[in-house]
Amino acid sequence: MLENIELPEGMNPEVLEHLMDPQNYGKLENPSGVGVALDEKSGEYVIFYIQTAGSTIDDLRFATNGCQDTVVVGSMFTQMIKNQSFEYAQESIQKLNEKLSGASPQQQVCADMVLTSFIAALKNYENIQNGKTEELHVLKMKESCENE
Amino acid sequence: MKMNNLYQEKHQLWLHIAFSSFAVADEAIKSKLYDFSLLAFRHMKWIGSDTLLNAQEYNYDREMQLCKANTLFEHLQNLKNIVEEIQKKYPNNSLGDRLKNDDAYLLEYINSLLKDEKNNHAISAFNKACIYEDKDLSKEQIDALTLFLFEESYKEYELILVYAYMQARTDDVLQYNVFNDLVDESHFHLKSFGNMMAKLGILSLPRELHEMTYLITDLEKFVRDGIAEEEAAKEMCKELSAKITDPELSKFFDFINNQESYHIELMKKLLGLDLNNEAAMTNLDFDEFWNGVDI
Repeated sequence: MLENIELPEGMNPEVLEHLMDPQNYGKLENPSGVGVALDEKSGEYVIFYIQTAGSTIDDLRFATNGCQDTVVVGSMFTQMIKNQSFEYAQESIQKLNEKLSGASPQQQVCADMVLTSFIAALKNYENIQNGKTEELHVLKMKESCENE
Repeated sequence: MKMNNLYQEKHQLWLHIAFSSFAVADEAIKSKLYDFSLLAFRHMKWIGSDTLLNAQEYNYDREMQLCKANTLFEHLQNLKNIVEEIQKKYPNNSLGDRLKNDDAYLLEYINSLLKDEKNNHAISAFNKACIYEDKDLSKEQIDALTLFLFEESYKEYELILVYAYMQARTDDVLQYNVFNDLVDESHFHLKSFGNMMAKLGILSLPRELHEMTYLITDLEKFVRDGIAEEEAAKEMCKELSAKITDPELSKFFDFINNQESYHIELMKKLLGLDLNNEAAMTNLDFDEFWNGVDI
C-alpha cells in the first residue's frame, strides 16, 4: 500500500475529489491526542486529532487555515493512516517525505505542516500517557509558506 | 433550543440558500435566491447578537452536506424541507417573528417555482466537467482557475465569518464600519467565485472554520497577516489574469485585484487605530475569547 503513495501533481480527478470533499476534515470529540503545527510567520496552522485503540489509530481529523495544497495532503494522509498502526503511520511519514523531494518547495512546506501536526498529536498522546497534563502539543515550523 | 444551536442551523441555512443560488443557471432565480441568502446572513447576525446579549457564546461549527441534486426541483425541494424544519425552532419573540416572516416568504417563492414544471432544469454545478461554459480555455488555464477558485472561495468565506465575529464584539464605530465593509466585500467575492465554480461544475462548500481561525488573540498580528494575504491574493489575481487570455475573464480578475487594494487600505485603518489609539483597543479584549474554548 505504501508503494502506491502519490502526491497530488497538477489537477487530476483525485486531487479534485480531495478539494471538493476533503476527507477527515474537522474536529474529533474526546481525542487521545491533539497536535498543532504552527507557522508563526504567516499565522497558518494545522491541527490534528487522533483517537487511538491500543496501538491503532482508530479515528482522526485535521483542520487548517492554510492553502489547498495543505488540505489535499491532509486529506490524503489521513485516509492513508486511518485504522492503521502507529508503526504504519511512522512509515507513511517517511515514505511521504521521500516522495516530497520531487515536489515544489511550497508543496513541501504544506505537506510538512500536516506531518508535523500529526507528530505533535502523537507527542501529546505520549505525554498524556506519561501522566502529563497537556491540552495539546504545539510544534513551530522552521520553514514558512511565505518564503515563496 | 439553545441559541448556539439555532445560530448553527441559521449559518447552515445561509450556506444552503447561497450555494443553491450559485448552483442555479437561471439568472432571475439565482438573483432572488441570493437576496434570500443575504437575509439569512442578517438573521444569523441578529441571532448572534441576541446570544451575546444573553451572555452566551456561539461558534462556527457545522454539520451539513451540500445538496448536489441534478435538477432545480430536487434542489428546491431540499431547501424547502430545511426551511420548514428550522421554522419550528425560532424563539417566540420579535426576532422569531421576523425570521418566520422572511422564511414564509421564501417558502412561498419556492412553492411558486415548484408549481410550474417549466421552471425545472438540469443542474450542472456539481458534474466536475471542468469546462467553463462558452469560454475556450486550455487545460492549463482551467487548472489555474480551479485552484484559484478553491483557494479564494474558502478565504472569502473565512473572512466573512472572522470579520463578522469581530464586528459583533466591538463597540468602536470605526472598527464596526471597517468590519462591515470587509464583510460586504467578501460576500460579493464569494458570490462571484461561487458562480464561477458552478459554471465549471466544481461547486462545493468551503471547509469549516476551526476556532483557532476566528478566535483572534492579537488584532495587530491578525491584520498584518491579513494584509499579507490580500497582497498574495492580488498576486494570484494578477497571475491568473495574465494566464487566462480570455478578455472578459482577464478583465474580471484585474477588477478583483483592484478591489483587494482597497481592502488593504481598509485594513490599514484598523492598524492605524491599533497603533495610534490604544484606548479603542480596550473594546476588543480578544484574550477573553480563549476562555472555555473547546479544542
